[in-house]
Amino acid sequence: MNIDRRKATLFGAAAAVRLLLFTGFPGLPDLLTARVEISTPVTSFKRLQEGLYLYNHNVSPYDGGVYHQAPLLLPLFALLPSSATYPAFTYLLYIIVDLLSANALMQIADSGEAGSSKLYTSPRKDKKWSSFAIAAAFLFNPFTIATCIGRPTSVFTTCAILHAISKAVAGNSFTSMFALSFAAYLSMYPILLFPPLALLCFDRKRPMKGQESVYNFVFGNAMAVAGSMYSLLHMSSLITGSWEFLLSTYGVQLLLPDLTPNVGLWWYFFIEMFDSFRNFFLGVFWIHLSSYVAGLTIRLRRQPLFVIVTLLGIFAIFKPYPSISDTSLFLAVLPLYRHVLPLMRYTFLASSTILYATLLGPAFYYLWIYAGSGNANFFYAITLVWSLGLSVLVADALFAVLRDEWEVERPEMKGKEIRQI
Amino acid sequence: MAPSLPNFSAARMRSYVFRLPLFTRAMILVIVLLWIASYMVDVKQWGALIPKEIGIRGDDTVYRTNTFPLVHAGFFHMFMNLLALTPLLERFEAEYGTLTTLALFFGPLSTIPALLYTFIERGLLGMNTAVLGARYERFCGNIKGMDADKEDSIWVFTLIAMEAVKTYKSNPYFMLGTTQIPTWITPFVMVLFVSFLIPNTSFLGHVCGLLFGYGWGLGYLKFLAPPDWALRWIEGKLNLLGRLPHYVSVDQKTYGRYGVLPTTNPTLAPAGDGIALGYMASDVLLRRNPLLLKLPPYLSFLCVVIGVAWLLLLPLDDYSRKTYISENALLPGQVHTYFAGSDQNVFRGYKHEINALEEKSNIEVNDKLEEFFKASGLKVARQSYEYKSAGETYKGENIYAILHAPRGDATEAIVLVGAWRNIEGKLNRSGVALVLTLARYFKRWSLWSKDIIFLVTADSKAGPQAWVDAYHDTHQTPAIASLPLKSGALQGAVVIDYPFDHRFESIHIVYDGINGQLPNLDLLNTVVSIASGQMGIGVSLQQMWHHTDNYKDRLKTMLRGMMNQGLGHASGPHSSFIPYHVDAITLQPFGEGWQDEMAMGRVIESTFRSLNNLLEHLHQSFFFYLLMQANRFVSIGTYLPSAMLVAINFTIMAIFLWVKSGAVEEDTTKTASTIESGEKKQLVLVQERDAKALVPEEVLTVRERELFLPLAVVAGSQFLGVLPLYTFNHLPQSMLPSTFILFTLLAPLLPLLLSSTLTTYFSPTSQQHTLIKTFSLLLLGLFLSSLATLNFSLAFLIGLLSSPLTYITPLPHRPIIKGLLAVIMGLVAPTTVVLAGTWYWGLELGEVLKEAAFGWDVWGMNTQVVVWCVWWPAWVVGGILLFGRPREEEEEVEEVKS
Repeated sequence: MNIDRRKATLFGAAAAVRLLLFTGFPGLPDLLTARVEISTPVTSFKRLQEGLYLYNHNVSPYDGGVYHQAPLLLPLFALLPSSATYPAFTYLLYIIVDLLSANALMQIADSGEAGSSKLYTSPRKDKKWSSFAIAAAFLFNPFTIATCIGRPTSVFTTCAILHAISKAVAGNSFTSMFALSFAAYLSMYPILLFPPLALLCFDRKRPMKGQESVYNFVFGNAMAVAGSMYSLLHMSSLITGSWEFLLSTYGVQLLLPDLTPNVGLWWYFFIEMFDSFRNFFLGVFWIHLSSYVAGLTIRLRRQPLFVIVTLLGIFAIFKPYPSISDTSLFLAVLPLYRHVLPLMRYTFLASSTILYATLLGPAFYYLWIYAGSGNANFFYAITLVWSLGLSVLVADALFAVLRDEWEVERPEMKGKEIRQI
Repeated sequence: MAPSLPNFSAARMRSYVFRLPLFTRAMILVIVLLWIASYMVDVKQWGALIPKEIGIRGDDTVYRTNTFPLVHAGFFHMFMNLLALTPLLERFEAEYGTLTTLALFFGPLSTIPALLYTFIERGLLGMNTAVLGARYERFCGNIKGMDADKEDSIWVFTLIAMEAVKTYKSNPYFMLGTTQIPTWITPFVMVLFVSFLIPNTSFLGHVCGLLFGYGWGLGYLKFLAPPDWALRWIEGKLNLLGRLPHYVSVDQKTYGRYGVLPTTNPTLAPAGDGIALGYMASDVLLRRNPLLLKLPPYLSFLCVVIGVAWLLLLPLDDYSRKTYISENALLPGQVHTYFAGSDQNVFRGYKHEINALEEKSNIEVNDKLEEFFKASGLKVARQSYEYKSAGETYKGENIYAILHAPRGDATEAIVLVGAWRNIEGKLNRSGVALVLTLARYFKRWSLWSKDIIFLVTADSKAGPQAWVDAYHDTHQTPAIASLPLKSGALQGAVVIDYPFDHRFESIHIVYDGINGQLPNLDLLNTVVSIASGQMGIGVSLQQMWHHTDNYKDRLKTMLRGMMNQGLGHASGPHSSFIPYHVDAITLQPFGEGWQDEMAMGRVIESTFRSLNNLLEHLHQSFFFYLLMQANRFVSIGTYLPSAMLVAINFTIMAIFLWVKSGAVEEDTTKTASTIESGEKKQLVLVQERDAKALVPEEVLTVRERELFLPLAVVAGSQFLGVLPLYTFNHLPQSMLPSTFILFTLLAPLLPLLLSSTLTTYFSPTSQQHTLIKTFSLLLLGLFLSSLATLNFSLAFLIGLLSSPLTYITPLPHRPIIKGLLAVIMGLVAPTTVVLAGTWYWGLELGEVLKEAAFGWDVWGMNTQVVVWCVWWPAWVVGGILLFGRPREEEEEVEEVKS
């Protein structure tokens, strides 16, 4: 009861802060919606409005090449009153989505999967933050708040991913797979989370009489994902009347036709690149992004949840259209591994770098776009710094977890300095 | 430990050989190579130590004191020597590091025994026995001037002596029967044996080597070793560790350079692991290096000093550049100007009319002006505006006329502005008259390819802002009316501020924009080159009415420019244009001279002809510059480092304090005594693969940091800044000065109050205090370095004024220094600085605050944000730290009492 009251207070406070920002500063939502750090071509709320307008007027939302988001979002937003006249409903929707994400995050934290999985128990597992603190860190993270106010559709993906994980740790493999397919349906890249998530489900499923082999289990889950993906896509085609949405949504993610600046690393490369090499490098970039999945899943077989955490960090850096929303998701799940934080060595460096980039990014963007006294390289340089900071954080967390495992294997090495070569 | 025969195994031998460190390998190689070479050339003659050939004056044979140990007389000689030398040398290198070994063996370790030998042999004994590196000489007598070649294994004996001293320390005596014989005597016995048993050995040479070895082993000669910091510097510069295989770094050498040796603790020197080092993580030791830990405060101070010195260097010829026109299309001063003759009569007429309108209301004035513009055949429109700030209302009506370009498509426009009242509130009589005359005159020309907008604003502060905002549709209706008539994108704006009606001497150019933004340097260069080159009118900047082009005047101009930029206020009607990326300047004639208003008109005409040539927006030249004279400037690349250095000073300290906060508390006196008494220190065996090293335990452990309280304090102080920001931007004018004085007086109490609250309720530890400072400085550095890219001067000024904050620490037991620091803190407080600034420039405090509030409300000036939300919180945190009393120290005091 007491905990529930705390939780209610936390959620209430988080909702109040967001409502205050929405209503107290009426210019803020539109200002943040226009920021390239928050809205990308595949998540922008402005583009969603455009798609919605076309949809409501019985024109294919993908005409005009502005809207690149999933078709099922359209009926959802069409049900709501127009955000131009009654913005309160949209605000409430986004606040609720954030709270749902936080709720899922709390369930993940409560399960204790981070400290002790089926195959591995960390000696440090007692040192952890309560689920309350982790949810608070997520809800009051400025990145999360800015994302919520900026209203990109990536918050739905975030929510779906967190639910997929929370269902997986609860052992509900089918629900988890459905949530994953919903996330993948919205943004495509979460499909890469399938291998670790399936393993997580396998590890956490309730013990049954007959021992099911892991291959059968994964295969069954793959079928579940394929089935739910197919039904979602089929529904979409029914809504839009054709299959052309595939090219405008997933095609855009894959082929990167829209080179609007964002915090990622792709846009500048593909602006500079000669067209003849474009396809080759698209392949290289995508292979690079997906190559982490197999390696990490195998290496960290004993901690599938951490594979997901690391992958979320890697996606926030290397995916085609990243935004601070992805970073906020990574920063939301990282505190689950509070117990390995003391093993990390560059937290200060990484957090300072991220802070610097957070401040200098908008400053340089301003110099480039508004003041006209800088150029694109200013902003790109900062996105490099930003990615560097995140990479250091991801790599350092990975190091800490590996070290934690290593100390279980070799207890005599506890507390000794080692060096990566 | 060298392999010994009883437990000799081939595999161990092999691994031993493979792990030989770099210098030892090199020595073996050199010795073998020289032996091979000795079959071809007379190496002996080149390398032997022959006393007579060593000149006191240090001619070219001095090298012999270094080379002699390497040259051997034959294979057997060489082989035996290698066998003896390798394990000893390897041990030495492992203990002292490759660089030290290199320095010692080619420096004092060879030279001193050699010189000693030379000195004794020649000076005392008067002989001339050549000495080579080893023993079996064969070439007896075939070198001219030598009595005999004698060998010397000086290195071997030096090293043996060192080892003996070490053994002596752990194992002082061995028993022979009942007699205790000190172990250090062994090498001496060996020397005697060698000299008796083996013919032609150099007894004296060996003894010299031995003496040196004893001296070294006992620590008397340690001063000969190069200092650690120098070695580390060399290593760092050349990245030796990364480049050279088997290199033993200064930091990798086994623990115990000064006394406590690894062999003295048998349990810790594992048998079979001869090389007690290898690839120990050198960064661990570096992190706790006492020198490195002391460095950052000095380094950050150095940053500030260099930053300031850098700025002071800028006015010199070597650091500043002559201005030049980057945009070729401008072609300044290349056209003939025709504004003269009968237009002067028109001008006089208009001026007469303006004088008549002096006392009239804004609307009446605009009615008349509209009439004039319409008479010239231009489209006219008006815009009313009303701003409220600090309880006052600023309202008025702008009037403007558009001359549509005969050769253009109305996509671009240039603006000519004459405010009715200039920035000082004087009637701009000649200025407005000139705008009217030029409007009439420009209308007659058919060569314009850009629209020209003639704008007469009601005042110089609010009017231009209202007009520019409305032109770009960012105004707030209904207080500011929208513009009924518009043209294309604004390409540039020139403001005439000419409030008197006599002749003038030179033109004063004002170029500072709001928030320290500047117009493109090309615009300024164009006007300067037209005025001084084409018209022969002098140009001055920043109210430097007499500029003699010396260092002092240049510096003064630059500093005034920085002050204006730092304040970020509007310095004229042009300032409002600059945030919209419209390059704009104000021209103010000044002085008593023979230039008439027609000359001014011609300058404007020529400038407009140049701007008319532009094919695209001004972009070529600099947007970030400091001017020291009308034709001399420094660009951003040259001046930015100074502000960055000042900002980096905070970051350096933040990183340093972070590292420090993680360090385990250590008692320095205890550490020192431990080493002196040779007591065992807590050592930890660090192992990496097969390499092991001993490291003091405390080096490795990192204290858990308690982050919550420090983060809360720093975040709280940041939010506290919103209070004064809101207060001073929203209070009515009448209350501003008194509130500010009150605030100034109360402000010092705030840190005291906060600090005592913290101490009472949370009693933060000294670690938490360090962390509070870390976060505060980190944020300050962060903000300032970001700000430096937007407004260099403001970042520099605030960085400089808050640099004392770097050195504030809790000083509970030093009331005098604390009091002194409190006074300094009081002096650099934002409020005090504002008061001091107002007093220095002789301004009214109320006026300054009113202007600041006006800037916030109307111009979108954000200097206040920087002052109240960046500078002031950092200062408050500084105060909290200064008055803070860390918990641990109190506890310690209590412990002592009990």
